[in-house]
Amino acid sequence: MKPFRLALVAVAFAFAGALAAEAAEIVVWHAYRAEEKEAFEKVVAQYNASPAAKGNRVTTLAVPYDAFADKITAAVPRGKGPDIFIYAQDRLGGWIEAGNTVDPIDFFLDKPTRDRFIPTTLEAVTYKGTVYGLPLNYKVITMIYNKKLVTTPPKTSGELVATAKKLTNQKAGRFGLAYSYADFYYHACLMNGFGGGVFDAKNRPVLNSPQNVKAMELLMKWFEKDGILPAEPSTALITSLFNDGKAAIVFSGPWFLGEIAKGVDYGLALLPTLDEAGGKPMRPWMTVEGVFVTSPSKNKDAAYAFAKYLTDLPAAKVLAIEGRQTPSNKAVYNDPQVARDTVLQAFRKQVDVAVPMPNLAEMTMVWSPATTAMNTITKKAATPQAALDAAQKKVEADIAGLRKRP
Amino acid sequence: MRFAVGLAVGSALAIGLAYALLAAERRQASSARYERLAVVRLRALTEAVEKFRVPSEEGLQPLLIAWKARLPGSPPARVVATQGIRLEASTFPQDVGDKAAPRRLEREEKPLFDQAARLRAAVETNRSEGALRAEEIEITKKPSGGLRLACPVERDGAVVGMVQMETPAASGRIRPNAAVALLSFAAPVALFFLLSRVAGERKGVLALLAVVLLAGALAFYALHSLRVLETDRRELETAVAEETRAQAAALPSVLAAVSASPAIHPETWDSDEFRRPRSLVKADGNLDEERLRHELGSRAAQAGKALAGVGALAMAMLAFVGFGGAARLGATLCKNREAYLYITPAILGMIVLVFFPFFYGIAISFTDQTIYTTSKPLSEIFVGLTNYAQILGDFHIARRAADGALVFNYLNFYWTFLFTVVWTICNVTIGVTVGLMLALILNTPGLALRPAYRVLLILPWAVPNYITALIWRGMFHQQFGVINQMIQIFGGQPVSWFEKPFTSFLTALTTNGWLSFPFMMVISLGALQSIPGEIYEAARVEGATRWQQFRAITLPSLKPALIPAIIISVVWTFNMFNIIYLVTAGEPAGSTEILITQAYKFAFQKYRYGYAAAYSVVIFLILLIYGTIQNRATKATEAI
Repeated sequence: MKPFRLALVAVAFAFAGALAAEAAEIVVWHAYRAEEKEAFEKVVAQYNASPAAKGNRVTTLAVPYDAFADKITAAVPRGKGPDIFIYAQDRLGGWIEAGNTVDPIDFFLDKPTRDRFIPTTLEAVTYKGTVYGLPLNYKVITMIYNKKLVTTPPKTSGELVATAKKLTNQKAGRFGLAYSYADFYYHACLMNGFGGGVFDAKNRPVLNSPQNVKAMELLMKWFEKDGILPAEPSTALITSLFNDGKAAIVFSGPWFLGEIAKGVDYGLALLPTLDEAGGKPMRPWMTVEGVFVTSPSKNKDAAYAFAKYLTDLPAAKVLAIEGRQTPSNKAVYNDPQVARDTVLQAFRKQVDVAVPMPNLAEMTMVWSPATTAMNTITKKAATPQAALDAAQKKVEADIAGLRKRP
Repeated sequence: MRFAVGLAVGSALAIGLAYALLAAERRQASSARYERLAVVRLRALTEAVEKFRVPSEEGLQPLLIAWKARLPGSPPARVVATQGIRLEASTFPQDVGDKAAPRRLEREEKPLFDQAARLRAAVETNRSEGALRAEEIEITKKPSGGLRLACPVERDGAVVGMVQMETPAASGRIRPNAAVALLSFAAPVALFFLLSRVAGERKGVLALLAVVLLAGALAFYALHSLRVLETDRRELETAVAEETRAQAAALPSVLAAVSASPAIHPETWDSDEFRRPRSLVKADGNLDEERLRHELGSRAAQAGKALAGVGALAMAMLAFVGFGGAARLGATLCKNREAYLYITPAILGMIVLVFFPFFYGIAISFTDQTIYTTSKPLSEIFVGLTNYAQILGDFHIARRAADGALVFNYLNFYWTFLFTVVWTICNVTIGVTVGLMLALILNTPGLALRPAYRVLLILPWAVPNYITALIWRGMFHQQFGVINQMIQIFGGQPVSWFEKPFTSFLTALTTNGWLSFPFMMVISLGALQSIPGEIYEAARVEGATRWQQFRAITLPSLKPALIPAIIISVVWTFNMFNIIYLVTAGEPAGSTEILITQAYKFAFQKYRYGYAAAYSVVIFLILLIYGTIQNRATKATEAI
């Protein structure tokens, strides 16, 4: 009997060994904290327990946000990184140009998967025609107003100015509208609304296009003529003004909601349309957080399977309701619980008119000249046209310095 | 005797290096030949694929089969289409039976599809940017020794797929003639021995003899090398022309076999990685003699320069050994064996952590490395002193604007340098003055609560300067900052601090002044307490006033402590990144940037690593010169 039992045990071990050998471990890096982290880990646990995992195990590692991008740049090309990482899409261009960091997933992407996303979010993770990741969630800025001061949120820019003027008292430090207009990221909603932008279709910078100049002129009208905006707006200032009830309307994103004081009754609404642009809506930039598969990963198939699960409806529900994220999955907004959430629905409506933030590597050289231009214009040290011309020249010179070949 | 050894060493070094260079060149030539033949085949096939209109359901497979039949010895090739993720045709041995083309690509073949997409993106990038930056033909070496090549397929101006080819491993390695090298090495040494018997012991004559012999041997070997290289090159180009002719001859029959007969362009097949024809082979398949001579000439010039460099090195070695340098070095090392052994671990550590990154930075500064070229070897992107010329040669500091006002170019190196110098001088002056004053006050005998004052006055230095900078920036806010509110309390007008360069400079100056006086105070306090009180007694008895006592006793005693502290402070302030970056961020419009923040922006916002490295080297040289001069002038490190 003994040899028979031994043989049985040996066979069992071999079988288990074979099974274990098939199971892969997928490492995921993310920068989530607090409730987002808990929701994310819940989804991971659900995946590991589900049959979709096919025996693969997903383990997560939370990396601090400040160091995240640098760690990816340093560790992944040398093979010391994860199989998947979750990060915003704006550094995508730089990583792709550096090489051996992010793997394109066009190969795995089929039409049903493509169709589950809000189209503009999929555009955001596409670089030069190739899709490099699956969009997980997005962030856009929208209008946040103090319900006590503003009963009906304005729908057009004309209404906005009228409402804001009534609530502005510069000497008392009260402003009808407050947002970080000197930050190019926030100004983009005006710029894109007029049809302007940073790069044209051929990836050439067009900072001084007539539409951009018009957008600047509108901003200066709000600041100078209408006087509804505070001077030198920093994010800390905007937050403190709103919490003190000294700012009626703020243009900001989901990160702002966590900083609003308990007593303030706030509401969200769509950014107003621009009368000066013929009634076209303000189009903020959206930052899309994508799930990216790394190039040196040994389990790309399994990694993609997890990425697909993460962006699918059940996972999106958990991330939306418990993680307070706004997923890129279209269908999740029809879920009854999510449909009742005014915050999520407001962002969903806003993202329909949002523009993906440019993910080119050259984008990093635009921020500094653009910020300089914004500061020069808002301090009235130059006209919008002149300042934008100067910024355009600098960006062109920088890009030429980067792109030239001997 | 020394000269004989020197000559031997120099000759060995020179001939050895020249031999190694020649071997490397020949190896490179043979692999280049291999690559170029493969590229000609690849592009010929790609042109056939592009011109072939697919009539039947079998698609491109018949074309590839005909190609393989008409050109025996062709390496296996496959055609991948991006639309539909398909393998259109393949002559690879594993793609038979149920894996025969045309079919959809399988999961393991994802790298093929990714490569096709990459080539498409490269072609589009080069077109839209108008510059040739991305590789359009990818050539990689297989681990087993052959090459894998891929070229994009264009139809109607758009890239629709790629042709990939795998060649087998190359055979044999050509080694240069060792006998000639040995002869070139041995001859001068032998001749030197013979002739030195005649010349006697006079150093000058021996030196001259050695130099002449070395030069002669080098010249001989150089000529030999150049001749070998030229022959090699000519053989390469002839082989490429032959291959082009062979392909051009066979291709029409291949195309005829699949009922297509469009025109082909053999002169475009021999091309570089951007699909630009090298134009050494004409349309009829013959070599363009004129261009070939031009090519050979320029290559010979390059080789000549390299050999000249080697020669210079050998001469230096000869001088070093011949005039006794090596002997002295050997004697020192031998005498202090133990000491050197003790410091070896530290030297190793410093080499890895300090010297290697430092010299690597210097190496990068001679290239134009950017984020796009980080994986290229440095020799390929070498640009010599261009970066330094751009930094130091740009004198456009200011110009007159339309209304006559002077407009400064804030990106200019000299403006930034001037600003940094002014920044440093102001800061160190404030720091030393305030620190010394406070130290003198704290040093008064019988001061109450002295420990409390000391702790409070160290606090600015103890708080992390990152936080300090951010708080001060908030305090200078135009409407809600504390500074402006205090000004308003005293009846003044609030200042928009970050609007003008001067006021912006004042904010950074205030912050750094607040941060830097504790350091000076501590140093001064320590030095003050080491001055014996009897000297002051004696001075008072002699009738000296407080000011005279200060000038004659205090200041000279403080010198050995203060001067090094000032040097350190100058270097720190010169490179004070945190304060400038966080308080003013260069506002307005980059006018309050210092050298180090400019370098940072060039590296991490504009991704121009080579330029930023050159900038950093310039900063280093400035500080080095300053430190040396200051040290010599004040003999600071000598005690009184």
